[in-house]
Amino acid sequence: MTLNNQVVMVIGGGIAGIQASIDLANMGFQVHLVERTPSIGGRMAQLDKTFPTNDCSICILAPKMIECAGHKNIDLLTYSEVVEVEGQVGDFRVKVLKKPRFVDMSKCTGCGECVERCPRRVPNEFNLFLDKRKAIYLPFPQAVPRKMTIDAQNCLYFLKGRCRLCEEPCQAGAIEFEQEEEMVELSVGAIILATGFDPYDVSALKEYGYGEIENVITGLEFERLISASGPTSGELERPSDKKPPQVIAFIQCVGSRDVNYNPYCSTVCCMHATKEAILAGEHYPDLRSFVFYTDLRAVGKRFQEYVTRAREEYGVTYIRARPGRVTGKNGHPIVWYEETVFKEGEERKVRKMEVDLVILCPALVPHRSQEEVARKLGVELDEAGFFRIPDRLSRPLDTSVEGIFACGFCQGPQDIPDSVIQASGAAARVAELLVPERADRDA
Amino acid sequence: MPRRRIGVFVCHCGNNIGGVVRVPEVVEYARRLPNVVYAEGSLYACSEEGLSSIREKITAYGLNRVVVASCTPRTHETLFRNACEEAGLNRYLFEFVNIREHCSWIHMRAPDQATEKAKSLIKMGVAKSYHLEPQEELESEVYPEALVIGAGVTGMTAALNLAHQGLKVHLVEREKELGGLLSEVNKLFPTHRDAKEILDPLVEGVKNHSLVTIYLGSEVEGVEGFIGNFKVRITKVEEEIKVGTIIVATGARELKPIGQYGYPAMANVLTQLELEERLKEGVDEWQSVVMINCVGARGADRSYCGRFCCHTAMKNAILIKEGNPAAKIYILHQDVMASGVEAERYYRGAMELGVRFIRYDPTNPPQILGERQAEEIKVYHALIGREVILPAQLVVLTTPLVPQADNERLSKMLKVPLGSEGFFLEAHLKLRPVEFATDGVYLCGSARHPSDIRESVSQAYAASAKAAIPMREGVVRVEAITAFSQERLCNGCGNCLLVCPFGAVELKDCERGAQVAWVSVAQCKGCGCCVAACPNGAMQQRGFSDQQLMIMIEALAEGVSSGLR
Amino acid sequence: MVSDKEPTILVFACNWCSYAGADLAGVSRLEMPPHCRVVRVMCSARVRPEFVIAALSRGLDGVVILGCHPGDCHYSEGNHYTRRRALLLKELLEHVGIEPERFQLRWISASEGAKFAQTITEITGEIEALDRRREPPPEG
Repeated sequence: MTLNNQVVMVIGGGIAGIQASIDLANMGFQVHLVERTPSIGGRMAQLDKTFPTNDCSICILAPKMIECAGHKNIDLLTYSEVVEVEGQVGDFRVKVLKKPRFVDMSKCTGCGECVERCPRRVPNEFNLFLDKRKAIYLPFPQAVPRKMTIDAQNCLYFLKGRCRLCEEPCQAGAIEFEQEEEMVELSVGAIILATGFDPYDVSALKEYGYGEIENVITGLEFERLISASGPTSGELERPSDKKPPQVIAFIQCVGSRDVNYNPYCSTVCCMHATKEAILAGEHYPDLRSFVFYTDLRAVGKRFQEYVTRAREEYGVTYIRARPGRVTGKNGHPIVWYEETVFKEGEERKVRKMEVDLVILCPALVPHRSQEEVARKLGVELDEAGFFRIPDRLSRPLDTSVEGIFACGFCQGPQDIPDSVIQASGAAARVAELLVPERADRDA
Repeated sequence: MPRRRIGVFVCHCGNNIGGVVRVPEVVEYARRLPNVVYAEGSLYACSEEGLSSIREKITAYGLNRVVVASCTPRTHETLFRNACEEAGLNRYLFEFVNIREHCSWIHMRAPDQATEKAKSLIKMGVAKSYHLEPQEELESEVYPEALVIGAGVTGMTAALNLAHQGLKVHLVEREKELGGLLSEVNKLFPTHRDAKEILDPLVEGVKNHSLVTIYLGSEVEGVEGFIGNFKVRITKVEEEIKVGTIIVATGARELKPIGQYGYPAMANVLTQLELEERLKEGVDEWQSVVMINCVGARGADRSYCGRFCCHTAMKNAILIKEGNPAAKIYILHQDVMASGVEAERYYRGAMELGVRFIRYDPTNPPQILGERQAEEIKVYHALIGREVILPAQLVVLTTPLVPQADNERLSKMLKVPLGSEGFFLEAHLKLRPVEFATDGVYLCGSARHPSDIRESVSQAYAASAKAAIPMREGVVRVEAITAFSQERLCNGCGNCLLVCPFGAVELKDCERGAQVAWVSVAQCKGCGCCVAACPNGAMQQRGFSDQQLMIMIEALAEGVSSGLR
Repeated sequence: MVSDKEPTILVFACNWCSYAGADLAGVSRLEMPPHCRVVRVMCSARVRPEFVIAALSRGLDGVVILGCHPGDCHYSEGNHYTRRRALLLKELLEHVGIEPERFQLRWISASEGAKFAQTITEITGEIEALDRRREPPPEG
């Protein structure tokens, strides 16, 4: 077995995949970064700010995205998917399907004239379906690469054989309805998985009324609403009447730490809710926030101080309770709960709190593509569906297959700093593995 | 000064600029600006066609400055700089003017004014380009050897990873043995493997690897230099060691909560690490054990959470319970930090085994009852709402890791900062957690923040990757927007030194005997803070000099007074 | 300051935050008054008080410095120095009779395109109002 192959594949273009790619490229490896969607950026592009620094998320992400795209050692394969993997460490033969954008990337300048002209509106997945995008679109304003994509499933030309209005304003002549998918076969020495996560579908928890009761939203939806570049330009609008809320309640562990749904802890939600409460307080100084939690898991660096800041500077109130139910039908949801921390002599009873907006912090589960990816690569999953790491202590980045590493949320719930650390760590593992004619084989 | 021959290329960007700004008019205007010998409009300056034209015209017209007026430099600056270089023109003799994001796109309803604004911006850009100087990016050599300070699990992991990549490592450990904090630990969460199982392969690995040189019972005494070129003095070593990068893996130590909860006066009150030592010899027949979590953490003494001490408490609780199923084990906590998949499962397992978790309020903490040793614990049980008294044959205090005593000394030596709690402070909490703002120095493990093995090892790998990058590359290249001091103008006031966030400025002796400012180009990040702090213009920034910025202001003002905005 | 009614405002924007915010305003096609001219610097801390004084004394109607929000500076502390210098400079300018609206410091992050547009519109309006007040009374 030779380990001369200095080409590496990274699957997943979120912050972990981007970081791993940049580190590998800077170490001199050739990297193929495969990303399913039209742009790299992942979940971090959907966040407004990041805890505990309250950095603007896209501001710290965009330079990395640009660095990644411009790096001479990185081949960005966006809107592409891994179809088949054969071989072993040192020589994985991977077939990657490049899905057709129907736009010529070498001509498209990202000017957006075509989007203006397109008549077809489609629910916008980047904004959690809170608004619409066009059938020809850029997933978000800072997308990298800045090239348009035609969503064939919703394009009038592909559905009904008419329209093609996007062609006329395109001075570069980049629209290409006849574009075909392309399959490429790549030989890589090692693979790094960075496929991220999805939010759990909380409509399964009927007691919280998501989808039934007005003004019950999820944490990620809140994130898009409060984002300056989101569907409401940063105005926290209640879905029912578009007015800002005065009192909001966060319910933690929705579908997490729950033997009926996902028994594990999703790790980032306590901090996520704290951040959102702070952001809401920054936008609307008179707003009151309540966080219903089970354990307040603020373990990371400067996390505890962040929670203290939320309590003291923004008046966020933390109530230790897992609400049993949310009801309400006039646009003011009611949260039903029992206190579980009592002062001496305090009465125990079921309480209710009427609020203007309920935010459910959902469990975060392995990305919907995870099982498929695991199958294709022959990599094992653990009981929760994350990539299994056989020796978490000595080899925290190694999957069950030699030469395949996993970093970030796809191997276990974790926040951005830990994901970035693991991404760089995975790059180091590859670097010590793919050493030509290495004498000491004990990796 | 040789005559300037400036070329201006104004981009239509399809309709994006051309549909608002009257580009041909702007090209005409640019052509008549002082020192402009060539001007053209381009449909897409960034296209292959546009770039070819630029390269051609540089040659054909002997252009020695190029100005492109199109979109934002943040996207295509490198592209155009490359085109200039390919045509034989120094890449820093290029100036970018933004007439799209900053003009046509924001004044779509005012085409006349947008056109005038485009002219004005180009006038400023042309004026600046006049004063641009050719620059070479500094290539600073990187010595391909690393210093790793600290040989615990973290330091050894980093050292071995680098050695496997073929890089030489100097591993310095102040104790007489390798292993760090982990040598004191008994079994590990969550698999209950022996700590030795993790440590021994690492110790064997570093001892046997030809590229790792170990210095036991030694400390780093002094560090000079910058990335690629550090000179390090180590105790007991005669010669200076030259290294390219430094990794800080000095770990942390367990807090001994002297004076709290009867520690250390009462013999049956221990810390978790002390319990580990005892457990190595076997589980005693304690009938009742009470563990108190968050001692010295998450409170007035220390705001942070120890991150993994809940795991340690649960682990030791389970070990004791498994060894003696009849024992009553209580863990008094403020929150149970068991994030993720494994830890949550472990927590549930502990509860099922019969370990009792009792939540206490930090404003009403538990009390030790007993004379010469602990006998019982009185605690307000927040969940049931009243005080309970628990039997306590053994009391274990769960404390966080705290910074090493000599962090401050090391931080000054390496010119890296400490955070408010005394751990080392990384360059950026989110995106640069294992790097320092100072290039070439990296951070991992509990020296940064209390970390368990899994996290420490991941961080060690990460720091190793960061350190490997410049060493594998062999050089560091610095974008030529760095500051420089003009010796003859400098009066040695030292303002620049004080304001530099990166420690890139020093005062050095010059020929005339005075102390003058000197910028380490390898460290300089090009913010320009020092330039603004310099009282007499001695300090300047390449590409953003006072002269270059002032000429833009003058060009704009001249336009104003002559009727052109 | 000049006989023309339309002001000219010089804006220094830092590469990492405010310049990017201005770019985003552009990408979002947010319309704003066309009287500002943006000069890019790497950090707002590069801007020395002499630039502001020179600009105002040469007839420009206003100078704005835009930087990263405190705590977010790409160079960690640059914007702290900017803030301190700006405070002193403001006092100095007022002392010599220059209206405070003519020199302003604002924080704009890379995602605040709308805020950039708003800021430019606001400041332009303020300066236009000043210029109108300084108009000489009509003859006769």
